[in-house]
Formats: sequence, C-alpha cells, structure tokens
Amino acid sequence: MWLTSKIKQVLMVLKPGVVTLNYPFVPRPAPEDFRGAPYWDHTKCVGCGGCANHCPARTIMVRDICQEIRVMMYDGSRCTYCGRCADVCPEDAITMTKNYELATGDKNDITETMELFMLTCQRCGRCYEMETGNAVDRMDLKGYRYDNLEARTVIRKTSDQFDLKLLQETAQFKRPEKI
Amino acid sequence: MDIAYSLINVMVFILCAPLFDGIMRKITARVQSRQGPPVVQPYYDLLKLLGKNTVNSADNWSFKLAPLAAFASIIAVVFVIPFAFRQNFAGRYADIITVVYLLTLGGVSVLLGALASKNTFAMIGASREMVTMIMVEPVLAMTLILGAVKYKSLALQSAMYSVTGFGYSVSIVAMMAVYLLALQAFVGKQPFDISEAEIEILEGPFIEYSGPNYALFKYYMMMKQMFYAFLFVAVFLPFAETGYYAADMAIQLAEMLLVFVVIALIGSTNPRLRIDQAVKYYAVLIIISICAVGLSVRGF
Amino acid sequence: MNTIESVAQTLKSKFGDAVKGTETPDANRLMVDVDGAKLTEVSREIMSLGARYMVSIGYDNIDRDSTLRLIHTYAFDKGKFAVILRTGAPVDNPVLGSITPDTPSAGWSEREYMDLLGFKFEGHPKPKKLITADDWPDGIYPLRKEVPYNLVPPAAEDVAYQLDEAPAGTTTIPIGPFHSSLHEPCHWALYVDGETIKGCDYRGFMTHRGIEKLCQTQLSYNEIPFVAERICGICGSVHACAYSQAVEMAVGMKIPRRAEFIRTIMLEIERLHSHLLWLGVAGHLIGFDTVFMQAWRVREQIMWFCEKLTGNRKTYGMIIIGGVRRDITPELRSEMEKILSNVEGETMTIQKSIIGDTAIHRRTKNVGCITKEETIKWSLVGPVARARGVDIDVRRDHPYAAYDEVKFDVPVVDSCDVWGTVLVRVLEIYESIKIIRQCLEKMPQGEILLEAPEALPAMKHAVTMVEAPRGESTHYVITGEENRPERWRVRAPTYPNLQGVPAMLLNNQFADFPIILGSIDPCFSCTDRVAVVDVKSGSRNMVGKRELEELSRKYKK
Repeated sequence: MWLTSKIKQVLMVLKPGVVTLNYPFVPRPAPEDFRGAPYWDHTKCVGCGGCANHCPARTIMVRDICQEIRVMMYDGSRCTYCGRCADVCPEDAITMTKNYELATGDKNDITETMELFMLTCQRCGRCYEMETGNAVDRMDLKGYRYDNLEARTVIRKTSDQFDLKLLQETAQFKRPEKI
Repeated sequence: MDIAYSLINVMVFILCAPLFDGIMRKITARVQSRQGPPVVQPYYDLLKLLGKNTVNSADNWSFKLAPLAAFASIIAVVFVIPFAFRQNFAGRYADIITVVYLLTLGGVSVLLGALASKNTFAMIGASREMVTMIMVEPVLAMTLILGAVKYKSLALQSAMYSVTGFGYSVSIVAMMAVYLLALQAFVGKQPFDISEAEIEILEGPFIEYSGPNYALFKYYMMMKQMFYAFLFVAVFLPFAETGYYAADMAIQLAEMLLVFVVIALIGSTNPRLRIDQAVKYYAVLIIISICAVGLSVRGF
Repeated sequence: MNTIESVAQTLKSKFGDAVKGTETPDANRLMVDVDGAKLTEVSREIMSLGARYMVSIGYDNIDRDSTLRLIHTYAFDKGKFAVILRTGAPVDNPVLGSITPDTPSAGWSEREYMDLLGFKFEGHPKPKKLITADDWPDGIYPLRKEVPYNLVPPAAEDVAYQLDEAPAGTTTIPIGPFHSSLHEPCHWALYVDGETIKGCDYRGFMTHRGIEKLCQTQLSYNEIPFVAERICGICGSVHACAYSQAVEMAVGMKIPRRAEFIRTIMLEIERLHSHLLWLGVAGHLIGFDTVFMQAWRVREQIMWFCEKLTGNRKTYGMIIIGGVRRDITPELRSEMEKILSNVEGETMTIQKSIIGDTAIHRRTKNVGCITKEETIKWSLVGPVARARGVDIDVRRDHPYAAYDEVKFDVPVVDSCDVWGTVLVRVLEIYESIKIIRQCLEKMPQGEILLEAPEALPAMKHAVTMVEAPRGESTHYVITGEENRPERWRVRAPTYPNLQGVPAMLLNNQFADFPIILGSIDPCFSCTDRVAVVDVKSGSRNMVGKRELEELSRKYKK
C-alpha cells in the first residue's frame, strides 16, 4: 500500500508537468471584465459624487474648494477593487482597467485627482440624485462636501450652501491618534 | 603527493555540496509541478548569508563557537576519507573511530549551539536532535565496523572499500538495505527532518542563527549530506575502479548524484514522522544492523 | 420531533409569565422574549429539547429603554428551524445568568459581551478578557453607542494577559503570536510534559478591528456586503451571502430565483477551492509538501475561472442585497463545466495517491480525537463535526438560496480524528461539483438583481445560517434607521470550533499541534472579524540593532 502510494505520488506530476509561470518576466494578461485599478474619465464625469458615497473602503474624497470647483480624489492605497464605483456611476465615467501591477512605494502613483468645474444649481447648489430611487442605493450626496485631501479622509461634512468656515475647519482635520 | 588528495577532497566537497543540494531542490520542485529555483540557488543563499551582519543573539561564546566547530568537524571528516579510492596522507593517521567521532562532534556542535541559544523551540529541537543522533549513530558505526570485521583492521581505506576485496555477502546486502532505510535520517530529510520541523518548531536548533553563523551550519548540513551519499557509494557500490583519479572521481560523483535523486524522491513523497514513531523505526534499524555485523563475524 | 409550535408550547407551559411573548416572523424562526431572571432555566430547557447552541448577540438599547439586550440563538437541525431567545438587563445593573455551565460553547459569546457591552454573567467559569486589547481601559465598552467608532484610548505599558496556571510538572511552549503553523496572529500557550500536551490557554482576537461597530455606525446597507466579504479571505461570499440573506429575511424581500442559483454556485465554488486549499495546507502541516503543491495546482484553475466570472481571484464582490452583480453567460457556463470535470478527475488522482498512504495515516489517524458526545457538547460545526459522526449540514437542514432544489449527500465519518476530517473534505469536493452541475442545469432565466424597496423597516430581527467550507456561519441582523443595520453580528465557524480545540489537543503529541489546529481549518480573522479600518494606531519607536538584541535576550528568559 505504502509503495504504490509513493509511486502514484511521483507519477501524479507526469500529466500536468511544470505549471508555475515565469511571471514577472513573461506578463500574464488579465481576463476581460477584470476588476483592476479604476480609471476616471474626466470628460464624462459630472461630479455627482455617487462613487464617493458608495465606496465601501472610503477611498474617494470630494472637496468643494469654492462654489465652482470640486476636487475629487481617488486614493488607491486603500482601494479594494470591488468595482462598486463603476457600477453606480450614472455617466459610465469609471471603468475598471486590467492593470493589477500596482505595488509602489509612493502613494501618489496610484492616486488620481480631478478638478471639476461645477455649475451652481439655482435652487439647491448641488442636487444630484441617483437614478435608483430606493433608500438602500440612493447616494444622498447633496450640497457641498468637505473631505480632507491631505489626510485622505472622508469627513462627511456637508452643507446646502457653500460654507467657507467648514472648508477651513476641515482643512485642520487630524486623525485620532494614541496618546 | 598524498596531501594533495586530502586538499582535493576538501575542494570537491566544498564546491559540490551546494550543487547537489540545488539538484535535490530542483527534483523536489519537479515532483511538485514547480519550476523550482535555479540549481545554483544554494550558492546564492550561502553568499547572501555570508554577507550579512553577525548577530550574537545569545551573547555567549559557545553560541558563536558552535557553527565553526560543526563546519570544522565535517571538513576534518572530508580531509581523511579515501575519496575516489585514493588513500591520502591524513587517512593513514585516522581510522573509522576517528570518522565516527568527528561526525558526532558535528552533531554535538549543533546541540551546543541550540542549547546556547536558550530558545524554547531550540531546546525542543536539541532534544529531538539528540534522540536522532543516539539512534542513528549506531547504524553508521555498524556500517563501518562491518568492513573492519572483514579486514580485521580499523583502517579507513580497507573498512570503506571492503566490497572490493570480499565482494557482496549476505551481511553487506542486509547492511545496504538498512543504510538505505536510514539514509533520510542521516541527511535530515523527510520523513526524518524531525529536529528541524519548520512547521512545529521553526527550524529547531537553528532558530536563533542568522547571517554567517547560519551559513556555516547550512554548509555543514550540505556537506554532511554529501558525505553520507559518498559513504553509501564507497561502501556498497565500489565498482568501476578505473585507476585514473579523475575518472574514479567522476564515477563516484555520478553515483552520488543517483543517491541524491533517491533522497529527493523519498523526501518529497513523505510526511514528517513524529519523534516517537521515528524512534521505533530507528530501533528496528539498529537491531538489523547489529545482526548484519554478527553475520559478518560468522563469515557470511 | 420538535416543531416550532411544540417548542413554543413547552416554553409557555413550563415558564408561564417568564415567557413574555413569542412570534414567528418567518416559517422557520421562533422568537421568544423572556424575563432575564429566568434566562438560564429557559436556555437549559431549550437545550434539553435537543437544540444546538449557535451564538449570542448583545446590543445597546439604552436610548430606547435603558437596557442592554442579549439574544441567544439555537438551531433545531432535525426540525429545520431556529429559536431566538431575547432578553435584556437594565444598564445600571447589567447582570444576567450565565448559560456557559450548561452550554460550554457560549463561553466566548458571553465573555465577548463582558468586554464589549459591560454585561456581567453570574456563574461564568472563566470570566477573563477575550476581545479587547490588554491595555484597553476598564469602563469603556466599545459596542455601546456613546463610544465613537474611531476612539483611540491611551496605551498602557506593562499590561499583559495572564495566562492560565500551568498544570504541575509541565513546561510552557509559546506558540504565536507569530508562528509558521498559525497563518494569522494569535497566541497559544501549550503546557507540555515531555512532548505530550497536558493543557493549553488561548489568547486571540489580536486582529480585532471592530468591523461590526464600523458597519453599524459608518457604512450603509449595500456597502456592508463588500466589507463582510473581507472578514475572511477564503469564505468571503459566505459572509456576504449570509449578511444579505439576513437583511432580506428581516425585511421580507424575495430575490429573483436566478440570483439564488448564482449565489449557490458561488458558495459551492468557494467550498471547492477552500477544501483543495485545506488539503494542501494539511499536507504542508505534516511536512508533506507534494500534496500541498498538487492540491493547489488543481485549485488554481478554479481561481482563474473566478477571475473571469467575477473579475477577481478572491473577494468576488458578487453578492449584494437583492441578488448578485454579474450573470453567468453561456460561454462561462461551458467553460465551467470543462473545469469541473478537470477538477473532478485531478482530485480523484490525488485522492487515490494519498488515501492508502500509511505514512499519512500515521500522522492523522488517532490524532486529535474527541468523542461524538463532546462534539455535540461543544457545538462544533462543519467537517469537524461530520468527521465525528454528527450529521449536521446547514445546506440540508436549513436550506437557503437554491439548495432546496438540488440533490446531494452529506458525507459523515465516525473516525473522530484528523483523518476523518480529511476524508469528509475530500468527499465534499465531489458533492460540490455535483451541486454546481445541477445548478447550471436547473438555473432559470431572468433577472439577477431586485431593486430594494424604498425604505427598509427598522428594528426587524433575522438570523441566517450559511454552510461555509469550514462549517456553519451565523449572521444576525437587526435593521436600523439611517440606511444601516442597528446591529450586525457575525459568527464564523471557527468561533465554536476553536473553543473545542483544547479538548482535541489534550494528551496528544506536541508535534501534532499544527495538524490538529489545522484540522478545523482555523480562520482567526473570521473569528476576530478583521477589517482594514482607517485607524492610525500606536506611536513608533525606533529601536537600534544593539537595543533589539538586548531586548530579545531579555524576553527570551
């Protein structure tokens, strides 16, 4: 029994042969529909911020630095590549690329920042609502929002009218630290 | 001229030991459907380790001394052995008892290093190593004594190459079987890598070692493997003696390569045994090897 | 046999007024509200009816009626239903009777709420710290609502967990927090006599980052499946599925049938690759790396298929509330069938080469033995229980997704040792393949995602069980306001199984520790409920080489 098992174990390899790849030297392309690094198309983006509101890892920050300019920042260092942002984007401005070789020593290599020129709605400032009208999926990102881009933190301070005081306050934001 | 043989022995062993290890790793990789590291990887490993800082984590001299002692003892063994059928200068002053003692000294150095490092896992490793040593050393001694009994002399050359003079007898064949069964324990490969057991006790005796100290231990292990492969080839397969030094050496190295292939195949198809199971196994081997020596005394 | 009605009747007649009310929001769930004073008796009665204890859930209800609430859940596997026992205690005197003396597997759950909510349990045999860090200050209970999710209390020096007293004549071997047989940080202190294990103590939850608190305070309903998936690297879909099902059950949502079939397929794919992974790891743990490599080679094609189907090798992100995100196209279906027959054949080859190997038998037979009675006592689940002759499987006993429509066997072995768990897992691989094939065949056409209703009603309770590769995962959801759950409790299969490990280790050899622990396929991060939470912790001290050497010498003694 023992010997036959040993022979079988050695012979087991014959059919598959060597299967490990010479990977970093021979690239292995990702399949279609792969969820790699997300890419924002700034020509399509309307700045609704739906992606920011749906990102489970909170990697997408929105900061209104004045009434007309909205800065959106994607911080790839925390991204889990779930592809939720691409799902919810009403303009299909976000695509999940096939790029997966993202290891880097510099956070900025995988950070994407967009400055969007926004028009002001006469009634409410910003009034995007997402197509899906249910509570579970609604993005509820109305008005102006002030996340901190230096600390890369979603603070979720919002206001109906542009608020300079909030903007300054949020610039001071520090993450909690151990004393 | 004799001294040249000794020096060449040491050179060949130092140069080839990592290569054989690399070949074993490659074979293991193939059995596991992997490409495996390049054959020269053990050289890279050793060079890299030798280039690192020395960390004396135990802060005592025996911790530093142990790897040197282990490496020195295996070099001494290699210095005296009649590699490629050539008796050498040092071999005249050494006999089989010297070889057994020197090999034991290597094992004791590992124990010394382990105990000096005061690590819990090293202690467990040391106790396992000790048990293994006590149980396996007799098989080694019996192998050499067998030849000594035939020639009625403790001289190395005659004891090792007894088959050339007396041919294969019942006792030699029995001893050969025992040696093959103990081979994995001699070289510390699966199923008998119990004292290192990476998953349980994290390389046991060597856990506190790093850098050049660890490199010396690694080298010691590789050379020890090569010595045991050589011993098998010398004692049990001493045919095809051509009379030309280079040819003899090439033939013995080729035979040793075969032994390494066997070691790699057995090693890659067996799980590690527990120490209590291994001890029972060794006990059987010791009894058979003593029987074999007994038979040779009776002339079989 | 017990039915929901009979259990409700028995409890009402035995305890009269102590049972404040019962309801059956779902055909298979019985909720019982009891008086806190009678909790232990009621629990004992339920257990004596043949229930299996699952998990306890505690939550903060202070702003509604100034009580802390506690829920015990039980499964009746023969009767195919679950009982939810709800009670509470006032916040100024949160004392309840401990059910641990009767039900040892409740020990951790109760210790958890001592740490997280400030409950006190009378009669608990081991009321030690379980979850919070050694230097976590007393009096801060992280699951209470007044405590913010990103609170970082001051660190303290020189506080250490006090391990249990070692039995006389033994030495202590520390395993962990980092050890090559543990794949994640946790600490075991093994008390050995020579090489024989005479006892142990466990200190885990080293990767506890408060994922439940995070989801209850920060995320919204449909973000949680993605976080839930990251509770575990291996059985991600299980957690996402269990959570989504719990929410759907709580609010009475019925998802499209095709989505249920796709969920079933995802869960079975996960079981397939998880069992192959385990087989490899088990080989590695006994020092047999060829099994390790070969099993993982077979597994790799499943991973590559998943990459095509879901967009990633792991953390599929397929399951959200209301259905699934991606459909299985006809091309993917035919490819899947091909891969299934490959995997089946190659697993068969591996099985044949190891099933008769006496070298493997020596390391696995009669190792890590516990009896069937003890298995039931400790409420062990999954392959660990099935290898000890306990015939439970959530897929058959409490069917969910599309499991009611497929036929499969539940392999049960009664060898009571590690070898049994190897057998059960290998046999389950074939059952999984069978299930996926049936699913592909029977899958109806149609929608895969249902739009959720406008607003989910608050304060609805639901508990769901999902059979993960390692055993039963239980999720408890209480729906809340603000588009997120009020309470979400995850109990991974390792949670009960790990509590049974000390019994398995007793009187075994130290060398068998890795494979015994490995036989339950422990997932410490599931148990600890890890998540990457954005909390910057700890100041960093630079330690020089010299100091490091001295430190390591100092601590080695």
